Amino acid sequence: KCLCLTTVRSLKPRTRINMSAAVNVRLSNLLQSCLIDQIKWQSIRGIQTTAAVNKSRSGRYKVTRDRSRPLTYEMANQPCQIGHRKSWNSWNTTSLLDGQREPETSIDDMFIRKFVTGTWHGLFVSEIIIKRQHNMIRVAGVVQRKVLPRKMFFLIGYTEELLSYWLKCPVRLELQTVEDSKDVVYKYI
Amino acid sequence: MLPNVTNISKIRLTHARFFIFKTMHALARKHARCQVKNNARISQKTRTDDEFRTLELVKERFKRTPRREREKREVPQRRHGQNIDQDWGSIWPVARTFHPATVPLPIRQGYPATSQPIPDKYGNAELMKIPNFLHLTPPVIERQCLALKKFCTPWPAGLETREKQIINFPLTLSTSSYLHSSPSIRDPRARVVTMKVPVDALNLDKHALNKLLRLVVDRYDPKTGLLTLVADRCPLSNQNQEYLQYLLTVLVNESKKSGPFSHEENDLFENRVFSWSKVQTDTTQRRLNEVRGEAMSSEFVQEYEKVVTEIHNSGEDDYTISQYRDAVLKLYGL
Repeated sequence: KCLCLTTVRSLKPRTRINMSAAVNVRLSNLLQSCLIDQIKWQSIRGIQTTAAVNKSRSGRYKVTRDRSRPLTYEMANQPCQIGHRKSWNSWNTTSLLDGQREPETSIDDMFIRKFVTGTWHGLFVSEIIIKRQHNMIRVAGVVQRKVLPRKMFFLIGYTEELLSYWLKCPVRLELQTVEDSKDVVYKYI
Repeated sequence: MLPNVTNISKIRLTHARFFIFKTMHALARKHARCQVKNNARISQKTRTDDEFRTLELVKERFKRTPRREREKREVPQRRHGQNIDQDWGSIWPVARTFHPATVPLPIRQGYPATSQPIPDKYGNAELMKIPNFLHLTPPVIERQCLALKKFCTPWPAGLETREKQIINFPLTLSTSSYLHSSPSIRDPRARVVTMKVPVDALNLDKHALNKLLRLVVDRYDPKTGLLTLVADRCPLSNQNQEYLQYLLTVLVNESKKSGPFSHEENDLFENRVFSWSKVQTDTTQRRLNEVRGEAMSSEFVQEYEKVVTEIHNSGEDDYTISQYRDAVLKLYGL
């Protein structure tokens, strides 16, 4: 009966099936019996009888019909590829044995990323990379050349200055510029 | 068009007619039929020419000027102007995130997409993420070593080998300092100080040594003969160092002290060594005689003595136990 139910549901009203007459008769009989059952079954809620798949969906982008969504290398590789095809965005000693200040460093990183993305509005084309060496924080990333170089220099100085005051460490911005955001597209999906 | 009527009294009768005519004319002009369409205007463009001015019935639609494309700024790349025999150390003096336009190498990194080459160095965030050692090329290292050399002194003359070092400087004090990538330089583990001394170097007699070992218990390692003292009770490492020096002095002095009880005859307990002659009593002798039923031959007894001493002193293992078994069997005459 379950089988009947699935076949009835899978037959969409718009699809046309070319079948021979004999098969048609059989099908109609089958359909009749199934429809009666279906009416009975409609009032009962179904339970899942198959195993749940629990597929991971993190960091995965949906494929478009016309392959129009651009993905950078970072986006194209999923979180499971970190350590294989991708590298980390934050480099510090906090996760080593007896490394100190782990939660504070993570929060600082989050703050830096938000601040930099907001200050350089629409200019960053890659993820923001934060490296810590001794006392210094080095922020790196790829930037579009949408703004005049003069403005960029100002933004660099502004970011470095304010961040170093807030985080109490010398901060350096090490950027790479790219003509267009299309230059960092890895593939279209 | 119409004059502002501020004071009616000012309007003179003579002007009134003209005034009315003007208003009527103005109204007529506004009438739709009489209105000349805005579109049909005499072209202004050909004003300057002597040619016949064209009448444009339909005005040209407002054409949107094409969006002015952002001028692509020519950004010069530093790598172009670099010679083969240049000084790379002055271009890349410190640790720096990878910059493709400065580094003259044709590097590629990444997993290629289908039918695509490996992503090149421009706009490559992966190359920026990984640490690079472009600031530590061999010529730069050599230069730095040369600069540091003038601060170095030669190694002391009589301390070439490790043995010589141990003989001359037996006591070692060791501390560790810790670095973190954080604004704070503090680490609670940095105050711990370890002191290691070979016990032979302390010049203690047998009794003093015995006492020291009893005081010290686990801190003495019999395999290496080293006494290890660790201090972490003070907040600073130099304080802990001083404490350790004090501690060692106290230990040595205490172990050298002796009371009236220290030099008793029955010092098996003191010496920690099993010796048959001290332990053996009449009961054991009698028991041994009973086993055989006659007086024991001294060599079997001696062997038994030796084996029991061996077990007590060096511990039970297969060899000593088998020796013991053989000795006992011989005693029993089996």
